[in-house]
Amino acid sequence: MSTALDFDEAEVARLAPGLALALPRTPQRGRVGEVRAASAGSSLELHDFRAYQPGDDLRQMDWNAVARTGELILRVRQDEVSPRLEVLLDGSRSMALSPRKAGCARELALLATEVGAHQGLSPTLLVGGARPERVQGQVCRSALRSATFDAKDALHAALGRLPPLRPCGLRVVVSDFLFEAPLPALVSRLAQGAAVLFLVQVLDAEDLEPTGGEGARLVDAESGAALEELLTEEVLAAYARRFAEHQKALGAAAARARAVHLVAPAPQALRTLVAGALRPLFLPAGVA
Amino acid sequence: MSFGFPWGLLALGALAPLVAAYFLRRKQKPVVVSALFLWRTPRHRAEAGPRLERFTREASLLLEALAVVAAALFLADVRLGEEARTRHVVLVVDGGLSMSARGADGRPVLEKVRAEAARRVEEEKATSVTVLASGTVPRVLAGPEAEPSRALAALESFRALGADHDVAPTLLWAQELAGPGRRVHFLTDAPPTEGVAVPAAVRWTALGAPRDNVALVSAWRGDEGSTATVTLRVARFGTGPEETEVRAVARPGPGAKEGTERRERVRLPEEGAATLRFTFENAGDVEVSLPPDALPEDGEARLPPAPERRVRVALAEGLDAPARSALERFLAVSPGVEQGPGEGALVVGPRGSDARLTVGVGGAVRTFVGPFFAEKGHPLLDDVQLGGVRWAAGAEPPPGRPLMTAGTVVLLSEAEGQVHLNVDLSRSNVQRTPAWPVLLGNLLREVRRSQEGFPRRQLSLGEALAVVTRPGARYALEGPEGTRPLFGAGALSLPPPAVPGRYSLERDGEPVDAVEVLPLDARESDLRGRGEGDRPAQAQGDDEAGGAAPGRARWPLLVLLAALMADFHITRRTEVK
Repeated sequence: MSTALDFDEAEVARLAPGLALALPRTPQRGRVGEVRAASAGSSLELHDFRAYQPGDDLRQMDWNAVARTGELILRVRQDEVSPRLEVLLDGSRSMALSPRKAGCARELALLATEVGAHQGLSPTLLVGGARPERVQGQVCRSALRSATFDAKDALHAALGRLPPLRPCGLRVVVSDFLFEAPLPALVSRLAQGAAVLFLVQVLDAEDLEPTGGEGARLVDAESGAALEELLTEEVLAAYARRFAEHQKALGAAAARARAVHLVAPAPQALRTLVAGALRPLFLPAGVA
Repeated sequence: MSFGFPWGLLALGALAPLVAAYFLRRKQKPVVVSALFLWRTPRHRAEAGPRLERFTREASLLLEALAVVAAALFLADVRLGEEARTRHVVLVVDGGLSMSARGADGRPVLEKVRAEAARRVEEEKATSVTVLASGTVPRVLAGPEAEPSRALAALESFRALGADHDVAPTLLWAQELAGPGRRVHFLTDAPPTEGVAVPAAVRWTALGAPRDNVALVSAWRGDEGSTATVTLRVARFGTGPEETEVRAVARPGPGAKEGTERRERVRLPEEGAATLRFTFENAGDVEVSLPPDALPEDGEARLPPAPERRVRVALAEGLDAPARSALERFLAVSPGVEQGPGEGALVVGPRGSDARLTVGVGGAVRTFVGPFFAEKGHPLLDDVQLGGVRWAAGAEPPPGRPLMTAGTVVLLSEAEGQVHLNVDLSRSNVQRTPAWPVLLGNLLREVRRSQEGFPRRQLSLGEALAVVTRPGARYALEGPEGTRPLFGAGALSLPPPAVPGRYSLERDGEPVDAVEVLPLDARESDLRGRGEGDRPAQAQGDDEAGGAAPGRARWPLLVLLAALMADFHITRRTEVK
């Protein structure tokens, strides 16, 4: 589905320096850095004790404990890491329902990678289009610029095509989450291996409040299936009711997986979103 | 391509809503949505079969339109190629009484006609048949263009009892029904005689045989009081028996306990008729019969009672003494006349009154001894002889149309149902001449004829049926062939009844009068000129060998079935996807 590119990179560049991602307070995984990792390492902070096993570094032996207990007790220290950041962008056709929706998704994904890079995280971008893509570092910008929302299936199906999600500190999934799928299982899968998961749901104005008043042949963006409907008040009300139920189910699935569900209305400006709906993800730089 | 039932093409009208529905749905704009499942009402049952989307698919529309067309073609009984040729055969059957004559083998001519008609229908491989019966009034027995089996069934129940008639109008009508260049089959019992104009397209087939016959050629019954007089004329056609026995059976009438049977042998002249007269007392219906012969139908007659109609005459005040006296003398001896006022009475009054008959003069009276000028054809003046009459009339003419004049003076006139006699009976001798009772008798006869019902109680075949009806009532004529309404009031002359029998006049559902149409027609009874023969049609017809296959074509049904199955397959596949 081709749409005009509505992608304000300059605004992202303006906002990124003043923002920081909300990093987890629990131990993380990542490169060596300033944040404590979940894995044992060589930092000064004690993480645990365990019995000595052949091959362990004898320098880490706690001789006091050996003396007290008569057993070989090893000090396990926590590594200091720079947490990894994974940004997963849904590449299905419905993400390009309107140029603004597509642009908003790109902007949010880019902002997350840019802010992460500023924080010293190593951003990884995965785009779940018809041809899945996985890039890291500086090429994320160009990858987002060239990314196409052309997948004829939804995100949960695209996960099968994407490279496997790796353990990381922070995972941000940008999608509209408007598909029929077992949401608890999907969110649980997305949360697997991530210290914290943010579900950023980008919704178009037509997704939130569809216009009615006449007959229409409704065509599904992904599958192309059609449904002829007269868009009366009753039909619109029924849509709103089902949409609310869907959102509720998504929120419940997110809560169960300890993920954060954020709704980003595409019509709003990026700055407004960052300062409002996406505040839990993008914190002011001084607060993080 | 032709259609056996073109009305079936009306089913094509179903295409209009089908195409309209297609375009109406197609016109709806496509709107891309992120999540169609949020719009769809959840269905708990398994989804299958046609859906709304079917109309958005051209292939489905075309298949459904094809199905409609196939159904319409089947209903319209479409025929292609050889099947398209329809074979219409027009048969004309002589409806004359002579068609009921038996041959030497005892087989009626009509039966031979039925067999021949069936053979013709089979030979021609007819797909539709029209059967006409000739007669004084031609009629359709089957069709137009009826199924052959129905046409032959109608012919099976047909009885030829009509009067002698000219067949030319029926043949011309049949030719029009058959269409240009198509042959007409005329089945009768005699070859065409010299001088008879036979249309070129008519194949004339005679299946009769010359026979001797003895027949009643006329029968008349008159009732006067309790006495019934039956007068018969019996004729011999051919070299049949010189003598025959006439049997007359009188059924018991009112006041009689049993009937009477009379038999009388009568000698039949070679070329002529013998007259017989029977008299019965208190007789009901009188049945007359001759011994069975080649045509038994013309040897039987039923004569119901035919009493003369009674007329009531009232003499109004103001009549002068001579006129009153002359009228009373006539009424005293006139049969079937009741005197005195009453409903429907013939009122006789003085000049200037509104009576039906006025008698009197106005102005200076002059006496005429002739010459008298009378309108000969008028029924009032039938047999009125004015020789030796001295007629004194007033100078002032009576109103209305003059019927009789002398010089410049009108003696008798008629105006709007009134008859005016310009006569001074004190100075005339007309009341003492035969002209007086004849004139008044004619007047009474006209009054009787204008009474409601049938003026005559017996008719022979081919005679027009006269009937008088009153205004303001609904009349119907019930006969052997059913009941038909009569329109109009007054004296009506109906076409000759097609078949003999009793005809009853009903007013508002109640019987009023009856007439017996007797199966008597001397020309039909003369079977000497009958015979066999086949005169081919003079014009070359367009009729060709080969005919249509019976029944409807099955291929439209197969197309319909295939289209529906293909449509189902397409819509079902869409659903699976």
